[in-house]
Amino acid sequence: MGKELLFKSLRHEKTERAPWVPFAGVHAGKLLGYNATEVLTDKDKLFESLMEVNKFYQPDGQPVLFDLQVEAEILGCDLKWDEISPPTVSSHPLQTEKRIPCDCKIPTKEDGRLPIILEVMKRMKKEVGDHTALYGLITGPFTLASHLRGTEIFMDMFDDEEYVKQLLEFCVKVGKAMTDYYIEAGMDVISFVDPLVSQISPRHFKSFLSTPYQTLFDYCREKGVFSSFFVCGDATKNIEVMCQTKPDCISIDENIDIVEAKKITDLYDVTIGGNIQLTITMLHGNQQDNMKAVLDIIEGCQTTKNLIISPGCDMPYDCPPENVIAVGQAVRDYEKTKKALENYQAQDLSEIEIELPDYNSLDKPLVEVFTLDSTTCAACGYMMNVCNEVYNENKGVFDLKEYRFTIKENIARCMKLGVKHLPSLYINGKLKWSSIIPNKKELFDEIKKYK
Amino acid sequence: MSILETIKECVINGKMKEIQEPITKAKEEGYSAKDILNEGLIAGMEVIGKEWEKGEVFVPEVLIAARALNKGLDLIEDDLVASGVEYKGTVVIGTVKGDLHDIGKNLVALMLKGAGFKVIDIGVDCKAETFIETALKEEADVIAMSSLLTTTMMYMQTVIDELKEKGLRDKFKVICGGAPVTDEFVKKVGGDFYTSDAVKAVDLLKQVL
Repeated sequence: MGKELLFKSLRHEKTERAPWVPFAGVHAGKLLGYNATEVLTDKDKLFESLMEVNKFYQPDGQPVLFDLQVEAEILGCDLKWDEISPPTVSSHPLQTEKRIPCDCKIPTKEDGRLPIILEVMKRMKKEVGDHTALYGLITGPFTLASHLRGTEIFMDMFDDEEYVKQLLEFCVKVGKAMTDYYIEAGMDVISFVDPLVSQISPRHFKSFLSTPYQTLFDYCREKGVFSSFFVCGDATKNIEVMCQTKPDCISIDENIDIVEAKKITDLYDVTIGGNIQLTITMLHGNQQDNMKAVLDIIEGCQTTKNLIISPGCDMPYDCPPENVIAVGQAVRDYEKTKKALENYQAQDLSEIEIELPDYNSLDKPLVEVFTLDSTTCAACGYMMNVCNEVYNENKGVFDLKEYRFTIKENIARCMKLGVKHLPSLYINGKLKWSSIIPNKKELFDEIKKYK
Repeated sequence: MSILETIKECVINGKMKEIQEPITKAKEEGYSAKDILNEGLIAGMEVIGKEWEKGEVFVPEVLIAARALNKGLDLIEDDLVASGVEYKGTVVIGTVKGDLHDIGKNLVALMLKGAGFKVIDIGVDCKAETFIETALKEEADVIAMSSLLTTTMMYMQTVIDELKEKGLRDKFKVICGGAPVTDEFVKKVGGDFYTSDAVKAVDLLKQVL
């Protein structure tokens, strides 16, 4: 089971493959046509979207909510909402008033969006928790402190060290409370997400953040859950000091060389997660680019021990689902993907003679399904299942063929027909569905048009 | 250590409160505002810039250095204006509409200021018309745009398209930066230059202006 595989990786044991954790935050909503605000504020839409992520991307682990503004909102920051991004903090309550918030302000389970989040966590645990590890994401103390104080916090690090330490202590208390709530709601991995860590020196990290993070990760250990430290930006110089705070895992973004970073995390026996490029590869690349990105990481690291494959950070809303599917496929079936990519890149594909059917003079409609491999790629499997069911219910009405990308001739066929994304469903040589799976009625209605 | 060296050290170490004394002393010793600016303040910021490029200093160190530099600039501003020192160029800088991130944009603004450019910082969440109207009003040479989100970076194209529509595209150099932005992207949307960090932005503008 995927969850066990991820746990093994977090226990630093050898694994048969790297676990796959897609960070589908607002992107989860895209799968069902919900915008970012809807998916971050509506419990049913969030739940449905997460279930869709679980079904299509077959993650070994998945976050329930990727929004670093949850605690800040409760603590009085104003948020600016967006349709395709998580909200942004637009006001900092401590910017002009240098004080430490009262402990009475520490979020309770009833505050802000927590009732929604906790309910969805519980529902996810019930539905997929037996096979998928669930991540509870908490805003890291430094980023939370900066939400509260604004960029003044950077000056404070020189002008008033004591104040910064006290403010961070408060943020650690918030982190601990959130940890309690998320564990109670069934989360298996507690992740502290602290993008601002990349903006400070290792010296400042040691002065201000080593103790808070040790406290938080010790707390997770005490409570019997795994811990993870997410950082965004180029935190190369801080990887070692981050390891010294003893998280079970560090998750990094594309700015960091994962092969070099892993040499450091391995010294401390910390698992590393990352770091497929969000914009160039996941948002603007194609499926082959995404598969290659996975292979490059695994080849570069030379082992899947202590390695989790995930996007560099929260995936862009508009990330094409087929790219995410391709990543999952490459993680699950490294060897076949490698072979398929080699074939795809090989020069002699043009020499393979592929004869396309004469689509204009077929006896009956022809449904052709181009898949990565329907036995290992979930979305491909669902597409094939729908086709097979409709086929069996309407025997003799149409012909059905699957072409798997793992076979050389099929790659050549994809190229000849101009297939861009997998899985894709064609009827009589015309593209009908790509990545989106039709229901049985939709499919049969479309087939009937060609009778 | 000469008095100008002391000023330089104050900038490097972000000593905002302490910078007043050596500047007053330098003036008494007969150094011109231009000497204080170039050999004290800008020289200090250049050291920080080089250290930043090598990854030896981080955001907090740059911010406090820039704060000390700004304090120094305030102290010699009247003398600079009186002596007619010219800026290396005028830059209108802001984070594009929909995006509230300002750390990177502020760093670029501070570094440019420290390198002798006139910088008009129009803040965050800036519309195309704000960029363009300010650039026209200030007779700017450069429009600099920042974006930290994949969702807002496309607005850079909106600003550039608006410049084209108004027949103003060639009037300004357009530089873009921010975490998701790449050289390829900037070329695609019709900008002139991409810079990956504040120091490179300064070097680039020194070359092209």
